[in-house]
Amino acid sequence: MWTVNRRRGAFCVIAVLLAGLNLAPVAAAQTRGGTVTLGIEQDIAGFDPLIVGVYDTGQEAMASLVFDTLTRLDDQGKPVPRLALSWDHSADFKTWTFKLRPNVKFQDGSPFDAAAVAFNYQRMLDPNNHCRCLFYISYIDKVEATDPLTAVFHLKAPAPNLPALLAVSTVVNVFHSPKAIEAMKEGYNRHPVGTGPFRLKSWQSGDRIVLERNPDYWDKGRPYLDQVVIRPMPDNTARFASIEAGETDIIWTDRAEDILKAKTNPALAVHEYAGSGAQVYAFNTKVAPFDDVRVRQALRMALDLKTYAQAEWDGLWQPAKDPYGPGSFVQCKDAGALPYDPDKAKALLQQYGKPVDFKMVATATPRGREIGQIFQEMWHKVGANMTIDQIDQTALVTKAFRRDFQLTPWRIIDLADPDPQMYANFHSGSPLNLAGYSNPEVDKLLDDARNSADEEKRVSDYCKIAQILNRDVPWFWTVDNHYFSIAKPQLKGIPKQFSDIIDLSAAYWEKKS
Amino acid sequence: MLGLIGRRLAYLVPVILAVTALTFLIANLLPGDLAIVMLGDQATPENVAALHKQLGLDLPLWQQYLHWLWGVLHGDFGTSHRTGQTVLHAIAGRLPVTLELLIMAELGGILIGVPLAILCAVRPGSAFDRTVSSIAFGSLSVPPFMLAILLIFIFALRLHLLPATAYVPLSDSLLGNLRSMALPGATLALLEWPTIMRVLRSDMISTLQEDYIAMARAKGLSPRRILLVHALKPSSLTLVTVIGLNIGRLIGGAVIIESIFALPGVGRLLLEAIYLRDFIVLQGGVLLVAIGFVLVNFFVDLLYAALDPRIRHGRA
Repeated sequence: MWTVNRRRGAFCVIAVLLAGLNLAPVAAAQTRGGTVTLGIEQDIAGFDPLIVGVYDTGQEAMASLVFDTLTRLDDQGKPVPRLALSWDHSADFKTWTFKLRPNVKFQDGSPFDAAAVAFNYQRMLDPNNHCRCLFYISYIDKVEATDPLTAVFHLKAPAPNLPALLAVSTVVNVFHSPKAIEAMKEGYNRHPVGTGPFRLKSWQSGDRIVLERNPDYWDKGRPYLDQVVIRPMPDNTARFASIEAGETDIIWTDRAEDILKAKTNPALAVHEYAGSGAQVYAFNTKVAPFDDVRVRQALRMALDLKTYAQAEWDGLWQPAKDPYGPGSFVQCKDAGALPYDPDKAKALLQQYGKPVDFKMVATATPRGREIGQIFQEMWHKVGANMTIDQIDQTALVTKAFRRDFQLTPWRIIDLADPDPQMYANFHSGSPLNLAGYSNPEVDKLLDDARNSADEEKRVSDYCKIAQILNRDVPWFWTVDNHYFSIAKPQLKGIPKQFSDIIDLSAAYWEKKS
Repeated sequence: MLGLIGRRLAYLVPVILAVTALTFLIANLLPGDLAIVMLGDQATPENVAALHKQLGLDLPLWQQYLHWLWGVLHGDFGTSHRTGQTVLHAIAGRLPVTLELLIMAELGGILIGVPLAILCAVRPGSAFDRTVSSIAFGSLSVPPFMLAILLIFIFALRLHLLPATAYVPLSDSLLGNLRSMALPGATLALLEWPTIMRVLRSDMISTLQEDYIAMARAKGLSPRRILLVHALKPSSLTLVTVIGLNIGRLIGGAVIIESIFALPGVGRLLLEAIYLRDFIVLQGGVLLVAIGFVLVNFFVDLLYAALDPRIRHGRA
């Protein structure tokens, strides 16, 4: 599905004033030099937000090298300075002021300043540009430069976690050289120019993208590597074979069998991160049989998520109790998740009285089919008949937006704050409320959580929301979001895989002892 | 001869028109709308309608097709909405890889298939013939992706002899390029030789029963000369046809093989174009593949004429 970013730790950051020294807490042992080859899944289309709309994990991995963000997340998931040195906010969290790092230049020599920040945002926000990326910044009203090193974000809704939301290298968080965009027009898409530690050297479409050290990087001493090679490898088996054979140094993967195999191989290291969000499914509550809450509850209670997580995900992904996930700051004592109870499910379906026959949309992948078959089997046992409707990703998204489905898979991704996605998915006024769910109590809690900076209060609001959603089941969640990469053990300096982004910007080869 | 070439070239026009019109139709029957793909979360009905208008997707299908055809006739194959690249540019970068793969597959298939066919045809029904024929039959039933993974497992992971996915462009290193193309080329060649072997074997067997072969034997010509000179050429008509037609099947195989071995070829470009509803690229790619396929078979027709004088004289 489309991707975004995310991560855990939401925290009200108040004017963090750290001197503009090194980003990464650097131990003395980094070696300089060397090349790292990264295997990603899909070919990269480009980087211009107006053309590509949103970055997938591969694009985000490359964006983290070519571009910089205003902030970055430390290992606790808290935002710390990167291009911004400090920040401050108004009492209502609707106006945020970022002080920028001085003397930073884009790779084409033009200056990175507040005007460049404003240019990037205003370009995405311009309604005439129809940027798909708009969804992720719909809470921003405008961004302006009040002086060369001060950028002010004016928000439509309060965002207590703005610095954390701006930290990962998603399509809306990185800064392109205004000069390069204006000079190259459409050609810019595949000639990205940022302020990041690596710059584009060559791009062989479908084969490899070679990045080389940016010699004028503002963080002196970095990057450690001379070169990063990014290779799209759509076939999972071949991608895993490439790291086993030593042709790549690190690969992205979500195949449990490969991860388990790599864990037993001393020549490979597995990096994993349990993020926020979850894998989710939306019922269309506007059409039968899912307009009846008993049917939705029955189907949820018929699912044995423990068995499912073991069968489909080899236990690497854990059953989800709420839509927030282990990486979120929202941890609920009791999210009110419905238990696995096939007898209760049968009884509910009998009360409903009519036969429950429906179609579930699934992606046209082996995994889509497997998941569909497991659900089918579990539902069949309680007397509900599901037909799998396998379609490809693009058609799936189209169907969902047209509300042309009964039950569809969807995704809640790893974002630093639950607000953007929860509000979009469950607020009755949201155009993205796929389930057609409307509950004034949930609306009120969502508004309340959005307008509060008190973390305890927000956690309690979100947990109440989880209880209501677990009871009404407009959506259900199956397993948490777990992100993996497999690397050579000598490759160090890789941070947590926030938002599923493999970030090599501070990576280095461990000295051979 | 010129008349023949002219007539055959004239056939190309309706074939290519039919292929592109059909692709256009099929592509537009796929569920999923380019405008919704491009707009994503911004796909409100108004935005979708506006984008349809901007892209010309609101026109009737036949108008869209004529519009596209008009552009192609003027050398404009369009621009990908996904990458901003022109279609010709996108394909030009990928074409050499696929061409190399196809050539390796055909050459490999011929190198394995032809000698085996001759050896089998000499003594049809012998143990050797039966063994080779059953291996050929077995190979025909192996799906390409399985063979590819098997080869990766043996040669890349166990023996560490050849790279699985480390494609090296020809411009970087000839040896490196050949090494990186060895497994994908071998996969397709291993799927190719059984057809070549079976077709040539049966033609050879019947040729070897012709009177003039008996005559040649009677004249005391060496068996090698009889096989390679007197029998091979007249037996290769069907073979040449099959090789020409197989190019189409190989292009289909290339789509899978390029994905597995991470090769930046045309096949993978087209596959991605389908997934991402990048129909302009798909359309342009299919047109070029179709032209290529038709041209290959055009040359095959010419080759007939060279192999068999009867065709040259317009009697076939």
